Amino acid sequence: MIRLHNVERSYPLGRGQLFYVLRDIDLDISQGDFVSVMGPSGAGKSTLLHILGMHDHGWTGEYFFDETATHHLKAKERASLRNEKIGFVFQQYHLLDDLTVYENLDIPLSYRHYSKSERTALVGDALDRFQIVGKKDLYPRQLSGGQQQLVGVARAIIAQPKLLLADEPTGNLHSSQGEEIMKLFRKLNEEGMTIVQVTHSEKNASYGKRIVQLRDGWIV
Amino acid sequence: MRADLKHAFRMLVKAPAFASIAILTLALGIGANTAIFSLIHDLFLRGLPFKEPSRIVHLYNSDKARDLVDVAISAPRYQLYRDGQTIFDGFAAENSFAFTLTGLGDPVQIFGGRLTSNYFDVLGVRPILGRNFLPAEEETVDVALVTKNFWQKRLGGDPNVIGRSIILDGTPHTIVGVLPNMPAAWFGASPTAEVWTTKPFQIPGFSYAQIMRGSFFLRVVGRVKPGITIQQARAALPSLEQSYRAQHPNNIDSTLTTMLRTLPEDVTRNFRAGFVTLFAAVSFVLLIACSNVANLLLVRFSGRRREIALRMALGASRTSIARLFVFESLLVSVIAGAVGAFVTWHFVPLVPRMASNFLPLEANDATSLSIPVLVFTIGLSILTGLLIGIYPALQGSHADLVDGLKEGGRGTKGSLRQQHFRKILVGAQVALSVTLLAGAALLIASFIRLSQQNIGFRSQNLWTGAVTLPTSQYPDPSARQRFVEQALHELRRVSGLESATISGDIPLVGFSRYLYARGDRDVPPVEKRAIAPGHDVAPGYFKTWGVPLLAGREFNEHDSADGQKVCLISQAGAKEIYPGENPIGKSLLLAGLPWEIIGIVGDVRSVRVAEAPGMEIYRPWAQHNFPFVNITVRSNLKVDPVTRLVQSALAKVNPGLAIATPQTMDAIVAQALGQARLMTWLLGIFAGTALLLATVGIYGAVGYTVAQRTGEIAVRMALGAQANDVLRMIVRQGMTPVAIGLVVGLGSAFALGRLLGTQLYQVSPHNPVLLATTAILLAVVALIACLFPARRATLVNPMQALRAE
Repeated sequence: MIRLHNVERSYPLGRGQLFYVLRDIDLDISQGDFVSVMGPSGAGKSTLLHILGMHDHGWTGEYFFDETATHHLKAKERASLRNEKIGFVFQQYHLLDDLTVYENLDIPLSYRHYSKSERTALVGDALDRFQIVGKKDLYPRQLSGGQQQLVGVARAIIAQPKLLLADEPTGNLHSSQGEEIMKLFRKLNEEGMTIVQVTHSEKNASYGKRIVQLRDGWIV
Repeated sequence: MRADLKHAFRMLVKAPAFASIAILTLALGIGANTAIFSLIHDLFLRGLPFKEPSRIVHLYNSDKARDLVDVAISAPRYQLYRDGQTIFDGFAAENSFAFTLTGLGDPVQIFGGRLTSNYFDVLGVRPILGRNFLPAEEETVDVALVTKNFWQKRLGGDPNVIGRSIILDGTPHTIVGVLPNMPAAWFGASPTAEVWTTKPFQIPGFSYAQIMRGSFFLRVVGRVKPGITIQQARAALPSLEQSYRAQHPNNIDSTLTTMLRTLPEDVTRNFRAGFVTLFAAVSFVLLIACSNVANLLLVRFSGRRREIALRMALGASRTSIARLFVFESLLVSVIAGAVGAFVTWHFVPLVPRMASNFLPLEANDATSLSIPVLVFTIGLSILTGLLIGIYPALQGSHADLVDGLKEGGRGTKGSLRQQHFRKILVGAQVALSVTLLAGAALLIASFIRLSQQNIGFRSQNLWTGAVTLPTSQYPDPSARQRFVEQALHELRRVSGLESATISGDIPLVGFSRYLYARGDRDVPPVEKRAIAPGHDVAPGYFKTWGVPLLAGREFNEHDSADGQKVCLISQAGAKEIYPGENPIGKSLLLAGLPWEIIGIVGDVRSVRVAEAPGMEIYRPWAQHNFPFVNITVRSNLKVDPVTRLVQSALAKVNPGLAIATPQTMDAIVAQALGQARLMTWLLGIFAGTALLLATVGIYGAVGYTVAQRTGEIAVRMALGAQANDVLRMIVRQGMTPVAIGLVVGLGSAFALGRLLGTQLYQVSPHNPVLLATTAILLAVVALIACLFPARRATLVNPMQALRAE
């Protein structure tokens, strides 16, 4: 499903010099895979995730997604592909403070071409599936961290993406809450969703099918 | 408290960008208010330098049916009221007059009046030297009172001035007193009044019978007795009126109604509405400035939660935190007040120069920063400081101690309440701006219409100057006719002058009114006859002024004093008085005599630019004239060379004559539009300032929101929002308070329209096109102000923004 070839990401240091965050990345991820990206701080894990998520456009190399050469796409086409295929879970949940749980779930749908009735049905399904129907009118600040991340995951998959990217999804949760989220990830993966997560935790990585180690921008 | 003040000062110094923007914004608002207040103080509050001016009343006549408003009082009416009234301590009259002063260098025209002997006693003005007139001097003795300026400038401050003689209109007058300089508000600013004599009931060229028939020319004042109210004085007038009607039933003014106003009310009535509008406008500007700075303060104080939390952790109370912030806002507003006052102090004295013809301001001593103006500025600055500071200070002082310490120095999003408050501020700015812009748009449209009016003559390259002919040398109409013939003869020989003419008056400056009636119908009684401006004109008048002859013929040399009495009338008059008829050959009854209409000329707006043309009557100078002469010449030369040429031509006829107020007709037309122009300019400037401030306010508010919501925008983009989605969201949220403000502003502009009603010409105060244009203009500007930060929002890099979170 995903093929990265010779992908590099660098930032200018001045005087024509470059600082490389990612070097010569070759990576294949199949449909239904569950990959954990690990490595020390500054290794380039999050950068890799944002390249996979098509948030970052300043890289070089080749990136094929479902045989589509994204490196040839214009920004707008990439955004369209991302909206169709990719969901994101963040370490800090990033729920919108002024919106209710229901409204937070509705946001990704509002940016895609869903009708009002489809959106209502999909949000209803997600609330039901994640057992948060009773919390639909609450604001994020009224939820625990685990509940917030649950909503975050529900929001990431509500538009039925093929790929779920998670950046330290349990980083702000205590262990039992983290475990719940990882179990949920495994369940989603078992249902066929491809998952790539960035994590520092060996335990969380063990929920995945394979581990990619990064160090100083290189896959080791 | 001192430490708090010191801290507030230090905080301002540490944030020079914030301090300068806030101070400049407020300085604009406070400065504009100080400027207008200083004018209001000079015009309305300072008061006339008379004894208890609110007890002095000005009496005037009106007859709305005959379109006569605020006209002067006739001599017989004055005399009857004076003898019959019981409500006034003193009752006096003035007949404004221009004298030719000779014997002190070149002859000059000076202004003043002929007074009843008690005039200055009634006003309560004591001479600084000598005495006021005595009753015995009123009718027969040639005495004069001069101002301090006259004494110092024209008589060199002569210590023996009392008893000295000056020649006025060829007659020696003995100076009996020197008065303080008189206020422009009552006596006029341009020209300034300098000399007064007695013999108030005499007008050169008018016979005693004419005067006693009810010609109105006296400005009458009365000092109300102690214990009698103005209402009681008003109530006493009808019985005096009835007596006059009974005793003089055939006088031309017998049907007029007498009214009175106190002097302070009288001198301000013409520009009261204008200044109410201007004061409202500058108040709006200040409120908009306040809301901008309040917004800045809210952001600034909210961003200092760590400092607040630390202070509270160290024992500070919420009150002391709020006080700290209020001091900061007060410091900003007081510095802004000082800057505003400084700018005002330099710019306001320009106003008398721009507006001396319609605002009674003395250029030398008016509109300086007086104690009341300074007190106003200081008070306004403190009020402004409290207004902008209290809410942000209270909000800032409500910071949560634990959260504040956790967050460190990072800025916060601000509470929902603060966000609402900011939206309210933006909405209020827009509402105030749209109201102000609508007002300015109405005045500008009105002014454009007014200045595009066809005034009926070609004012370009037209020079005019006034001359008073001394009655001692020109005692009768034939002598004055000879003067005109000789003067025109000399003037037409001067190269550089295209054409020249003479008339008794000129458009937009002064005019006489005459009763008239059709001679071919039943003649109504005198008191029911219509009244119209009348002009005595010499040959060449219509050519020189560029007024077209539409039918019949002009005056010629055969229209002499002994010939058939002839006249010309205006086109509007012909249509009004002779509808569907040819008036030529018909007779018009003027002063009881038939005058044959020999022609019709184009309409001239002789009274006011804003007054629609009506009946105007022109008579040949040879057949009807007074010793007041206006010379008009058409020339490409500038004012001073023309004045010199005319003066030298005049000197050949009579070297003792002086030209008063030489000027171009363009200048006179410009002055006639001056009040409207000044109002338009001032309101336009204030509206422009309001628009600028509101734009900055909207830009700032939306920009701050974008900065505050970078994380949220990044999340939305990470969740699939496209650039257009973000743009739409920011613009929609930015424009919502704008839209509400527009609706409220249009509503208030509609409601306040009537305030402007009296100042508009041919423009409805509720003109839908102008109101809609104003709203669209503001909406477009607001949209642009929203688009810049919204565009910035679309450039948020979700990866970087989220990582920063």
